[in-house]
Amino acid sequence: MSADTVAVIGGGPGGLRAADAITEIGGKVVLIEQRDFLGGTPIAENYAGLTPHGEPARPQIERMIEAVTSHPDADVRLGSVVTALSGEPGAYTLTVRGPAGDQLVECGAIVLATGFTHFDPGRETQLYGYYEYPDVVTLPDLESMLSQHQVVRPSNGQPPERVCFIQCVGSRDRHIGNEYCSKVCCGVASKEAIEIRQLLPGSKVYIFYIDMRMYGYWENEIYWPAQEKHHVQYVKGMITEVIAKGDRLLVRGEDTTMGRPMELEMDLVVLSVGMEPSAGTKQMARVLGVAQNKYGFIHAVGGPLDTVSTSRAGIFACGAALGPADLEDTVSSAAGAAMKAVGFLRRRAAVSAD
Amino acid sequence: MTTTDAAKPDAHYKAPQVAGYADVPYEEKARLFDLVKSDLRFGDYLYGCYECGICVAACPSARFYDFSPRRIAQAAAREDVELIYQQMQEDIWECSQCFSCLRCPRGNNPGGIITIMREVAVSNGLASAREALAGYSRIIYKIMSTGTQVSPDMLQPDAFPDWGPETGDVSANLDLWRRALPPETLHTTTTGWAVSDRTLIELYLIWLHTGSLDMIAEVDASLHAILQELMEERLEDEGIEL
Repeated sequence: MSADTVAVIGGGPGGLRAADAITEIGGKVVLIEQRDFLGGTPIAENYAGLTPHGEPARPQIERMIEAVTSHPDADVRLGSVVTALSGEPGAYTLTVRGPAGDQLVECGAIVLATGFTHFDPGRETQLYGYYEYPDVVTLPDLESMLSQHQVVRPSNGQPPERVCFIQCVGSRDRHIGNEYCSKVCCGVASKEAIEIRQLLPGSKVYIFYIDMRMYGYWENEIYWPAQEKHHVQYVKGMITEVIAKGDRLLVRGEDTTMGRPMELEMDLVVLSVGMEPSAGTKQMARVLGVAQNKYGFIHAVGGPLDTVSTSRAGIFACGAALGPADLEDTVSSAAGAAMKAVGFLRRRAAVSAD
Repeated sequence: MTTTDAAKPDAHYKAPQVAGYADVPYEEKARLFDLVKSDLRFGDYLYGCYECGICVAACPSARFYDFSPRRIAQAAAREDVELIYQQMQEDIWECSQCFSCLRCPRGNNPGGIITIMREVAVSNGLASAREALAGYSRIIYKIMSTGTQVSPDMLQPDAFPDWGPETGDVSANLDLWRRALPPETLHTTTTGWAVSDRTLIELYLIWLHTGSLDMIAEVDASLHAILQELMEERLEDEGIEL
């Protein structure tokens, strides 16, 4: 354990891909995960299918886990949290509090892969009644239901006939402070809408949006099939409030392109909650002394052509620790961070050998 | 306050006294839309709508009428039975069927959807179809019975006020205008393109067998009866059994 090792903090898709990439190019890695299991948010929150293709999440994430845990140069520490950093770039020492107490981990470079947390729809605004009405749920709540291959109204256990998604909950909002687009919710909501229509062919599914943002191939892989094949109804217009009406929920908004106000009754309302920096991301930024941006994500200092360098030499970040990211972004930046980290410690080694 | 679908089957977009056309039960509107949807062409005419408005930007009618090919595509995509019925009683007759709307990036064909909606409106005798075709009975008669074209004096000038006052003047003195034209032309009121007997028989068979003639039964029963008798008699003379 020494300066030829990269420490990766966070064992989700980003951390797993970074750790895997480090070993792929001959480096050694210590993977530190605060939970007792690897896989991150997709596993912790019971994702059903991965966006965009909708293939079951668990087997795919398990393959990533297997690649890391089976590698002789990977040292995985579960239930462990970094509490302090000392040393200097190329020769850092992390204090890691784990099941065996405090331990020191020597490493030449660090990759932060501490991810995001879903926006709490009870924060700032109660207009959508998330904590008031059982049939108002979030994208991850529905994802968890879908992983069991069933969609029901939590209030009575019956399948819903009418479902709507409300986009941009906790994103693109000056009042809330999250001015950014969370990037994945349009695609995830559309993917879940398709899954509902497949499970409940008699259901009517709406998506109320400000803009639909499904970039690149997500357009033809998710958006068009959702609309054309699965007849998901996309209505441009935000819902201002959700209120109870009988045993249903009334959503109020404007059908902007039709130029008319609308009131619709729903059995299930799904809030497309956005991304915020996870507690771990904010905590690690403080412990490691790397700068955060105004939203609390890790500040990437290198501009558009270096998305993984942080304000501190030898410390890199990837995935949703840097800001809203889909899985494709996450594994790409994780591989970039791994390359940067291994390159960084090899250059240090070459300089000290001279 | 309106709804965008069948959540409230009794919802309508205009009160009957304002609408200018008869309201019918929701089930009848749904039946008409089912006829539109079940048309073979429908799947090729409507995919999904971005609601981007490029069809409206390209549409000449949208400049002059309260008409939007986007709303046609949207109503069909949303299966908005109430709005589709309203459109079949109003909007669809404001389209000039120029198909500029085919520039849709999704490959939709709002003009084609209108073609189907018009056919359903005609074959089901909707009031709007009767009104729209009222000025065409002489044209329909000429084309279907002779297989040849019409000339301006065959039109009922009062049925086309938007053609302007000159149309009547031209029709009234058509022979004079014809003589003023240097080249010989068959566009006269007394002669037409020669149509062979064989072609005419084939045309009659097509009108009868494809249901084209039946389409006008609901909008102009007497014209339908006259044409049917004419065609069947002619075919009988030719020894063709129907």
